[in-house]
Amino acid sequence: MNTIIKGLIASTTMLIAVPAVAEQLSAEDIIRNANLASYYAGDDGRAEARMLIVDQNGNKQMRQFNILRKDVADHGQQNMLVIFSRPTDVKGTVFRVEKHVEQDDNRWLYLPALDLVKRISASDKRTSFVGSHFYYEDVSGRNPNEDTFELQTASDDSYQIKGTPKNPDSVEFAYYQASIDKSTFLPMQVIYFNEKDQPMRKMTVLKTEDIQGHTTVMHSKIEQLSDGSYTEMQFRNVSYDLGLPDSVFSERSLRTPPAKWLN
Amino acid sequence: MNKRQRAKLSSTPGLVKGPRSRAMIWSIFGLMFSVMLLQNVNATEVAPVASQLQQSAQDQSDSQDIWGDDDWGDEQEEASPWLFSGFAEAGFGAFTQHNVTDKQQSLAELRGRGEVSYQGEGYVVTAKGDLLADGVMEQLEFDARELNLAFSPLQNTDVILGRQVITWGTGDYLFLNDLFAKDWQSFFAGRDDAYLKAPNDSVRVMQYVKNITFDLVYSPEFTPDNFITGERFSFYSPQAMTIVAPERFPLLENYGEQYAVRVATSIKGIEYALYGSKGYWTTPTGIYVEGDNAGLAYFPELHTYGASIRTPLASGLFNGEIAVYNSVEDSRGDNPFIANDQVRLLFGYEQELVKDLTGAVQFYLEHTDNYDEYVVNSLSPETQAEENRQVLTVRLTHLSKRQTLTSSLFVFYSPTDQDGYLKPSMTYRYNDNWTLAGGANVFWGEQDYSFFGQQQDNTNLWLRLRFNY
Repeated sequence: MNTIIKGLIASTTMLIAVPAVAEQLSAEDIIRNANLASYYAGDDGRAEARMLIVDQNGNKQMRQFNILRKDVADHGQQNMLVIFSRPTDVKGTVFRVEKHVEQDDNRWLYLPALDLVKRISASDKRTSFVGSHFYYEDVSGRNPNEDTFELQTASDDSYQIKGTPKNPDSVEFAYYQASIDKSTFLPMQVIYFNEKDQPMRKMTVLKTEDIQGHTTVMHSKIEQLSDGSYTEMQFRNVSYDLGLPDSVFSERSLRTPPAKWLN
Repeated sequence: MNKRQRAKLSSTPGLVKGPRSRAMIWSIFGLMFSVMLLQNVNATEVAPVASQLQQSAQDQSDSQDIWGDDDWGDEQEEASPWLFSGFAEAGFGAFTQHNVTDKQQSLAELRGRGEVSYQGEGYVVTAKGDLLADGVMEQLEFDARELNLAFSPLQNTDVILGRQVITWGTGDYLFLNDLFAKDWQSFFAGRDDAYLKAPNDSVRVMQYVKNITFDLVYSPEFTPDNFITGERFSFYSPQAMTIVAPERFPLLENYGEQYAVRVATSIKGIEYALYGSKGYWTTPTGIYVEGDNAGLAYFPELHTYGASIRTPLASGLFNGEIAVYNSVEDSRGDNPFIANDQVRLLFGYEQELVKDLTGAVQFYLEHTDNYDEYVVNSLSPETQAEENRQVLTVRLTHLSKRQTLTSSLFVFYSPTDQDGYLKPSMTYRYNDNWTLAGGANVFWGEQDYSFFGQQQDNTNLWLRLRFNY
C-alpha cells in the first residue's frame, strides 16, 4: 500500500513548474527540482485517483481513492491521507502517512469493518501499494538522500540522470535512469535496471496537465518488464493550495473522512 | 480469562438480544429512514450512474481500450450521496474429529450482505446488514451489523449514534482495555476476521482537543461476547467434569449500562492512551447460588482502567498495554462464584522479516488477584488457571502474487496452561469480486479443562467463497 500512495503522490505532485534554468545544473540540483516538482506542488493538494492493475494474464483489478496532502516544508515533512472508495472490499479504508526525510515515516491504516486503527511499520518502502505495481515509495517519493546521481546527457528538452542506491541491499534494483523534462523537471520516464544491466521495471508519464500553474501528472504507468504486467494510474479533480487545516491529517480523519475537502 | 470464567462460560446459552435493545435499534432505524426521506432525494441520484470518463483525445488513444467500460463509479458532475454495496458468501467447515455437539459441521452458511450509506449535509447514515441462512443453527436470521447516524454537533466533536463496531487497544487477537463485544464463535468457526468484533448499541462521542482525542462510549445495555455455549462448539464443564455441548445454557441476561472512555494522543510518532470502563464482564463469569436465579450464569459488574503505548522501534513496531480489572462484586476474591480481580499485561513487537513476510510476537500475562483466597474457595481448584497465566503468540503473514494471495499463520501458546491454538489460513483474491479463503482452527492441550485444551474437539477446517458487489 505504501508504494501506491507514494506513486500517487508523486504523480499528483508534479505541479511545481520550476523555471527553466541554465544547463549548468548539477545532477543533484536537477533531482532536487524533480523531487519538488513531483511531490511538493503547492502547499497542499487534493486529487481523485484510480488504478488499473493488470497481471501477466490480463486479469484486471481496480482501486479508486482520494488523496489529500499537505507540506510542512518543501523537501521536508509531508502529511498525507488516502481514502479508498472502490472496490467494495477496500471501501472506507483510510491510509495516513506522516512522511519524514530524516527519519522513518509514520503510517497508519484504518480498517472500517473492525473499526481498527492499524499501525504499519516503516520498513516496507518497496512493497506494493495495495497490490499495484507502484511501491509505497513511488507514491510518497523516494528520499533523494538514498541515492547518488550522475548527469549522463542533456538534450534540448530533457536530462538523463542515473541514480545508484547508496545501500544496494535495501532495494531490488541496481540503478535507475530517469528522463527528466527540462522545462517542468518532471521525470517523464524512469527505468530500473538489475546488476546485469537488464531493464526490470519502467515508469512512464502518459499525460500531464497544467493545474494552477503546476504541471501535473494526470496519467502514468508502471510496467514489470519481465512479465508484461502493469498498473496505470489516472488522476482527476486535482487542485492545489486549498488551505487544508493540519487537523485533517489526524486520527479523526481515519474514522470520519473530511467530507468537506473531498468533494 | 481465568479458568473459573471458562467454566462458567461453559454453561451459557446462545445470546439473544433483549426486547428492549431490539426496540431501540428499530426506533433508531425508523428515525434514520425518516431523515433520509426528508432529503427530497432526486431519483437520478439514487442509482449510481455509469458514466464514461471524459477523457482527452490524447488520453483516450492510450487508455480507453484498457479501462474498458469501467468508469469512476459516479457522475463526474455531481456525486450521488447514496452508496450501495455488499457481498454474498458461502462458508463451510467441519470438525476433524467427533465432537459432542449436535452437528459435526462448524460452519454451513449462506450469507448476503447489504450496505447502504447516505451522505447528507454534515451527517452520514450507515446501514449494514446480513441475511444469514445458518445450517449449523438451522435458522434464517437477519443481523443488523451497523445502523447508525454519524454527525458533528460541534466543530471538534463527532458523534456516532446507534449500532456500531468499536475497537481500541493495541493487542492482536488479544484484548485488554477493549470491553466491546467479541464474537468468539465466528472467530473459531473461520468466518472473516471482521466478525470477531460484534456490534454494540451505543452512543459514541469523540472530542478532539489539539492533539488529544477524548473518546466516550455509552451503551444503555452492553453487548456481551458471543462466547462458546454448546450450540456450535463444545467446552469443559467443571460440574460434569467433562467436555459437553448442552442445548441450553442457563444464563441471566442482565445487560446493564456500560461506560467506556479512552484518552489518546500521539507525540513524535509515539502513541499513548489511557482507558477506563464501568460496566460488566462481557462473558458470564458469575453464577447465582441462591434466590430465584440460583444456578444461572450472569455478567458480574466490572470496572477497568489501563494504559497503552505504541511506537516504532528498530525497524518494527513495539506495543505495550496494561489493564486492571476490578471485579467489584468480589473484590476480596473469596467468592468462588464470581471472577476475581485481574491485572492484564501485554507486550508486542512486529517487523517485516523479508520482503512481503511480516512477523509479530506478543507476550500476554493475566494475573489473578487474591489467588490464595481464590484457590481456597474454589470448588475445583485443580482445574483453575495459574496465578500468572501466560500466553505467547506468533503471527506470520506472507503476501504473494501481487498481494492477491495472503498466507497467514497465527499461534497462541500458553506455557502455564500447556495448551495452544493454531490458526492458519490462505486467502486468494481472484479479482475485485471473487475471494476464496480456506483455513483451520486447531486446538490442543494437556488437560481437558484449560482455556484452549477444552476446545480440542472443536478443531475444524473451513472454506469460504465470497462475491463482492
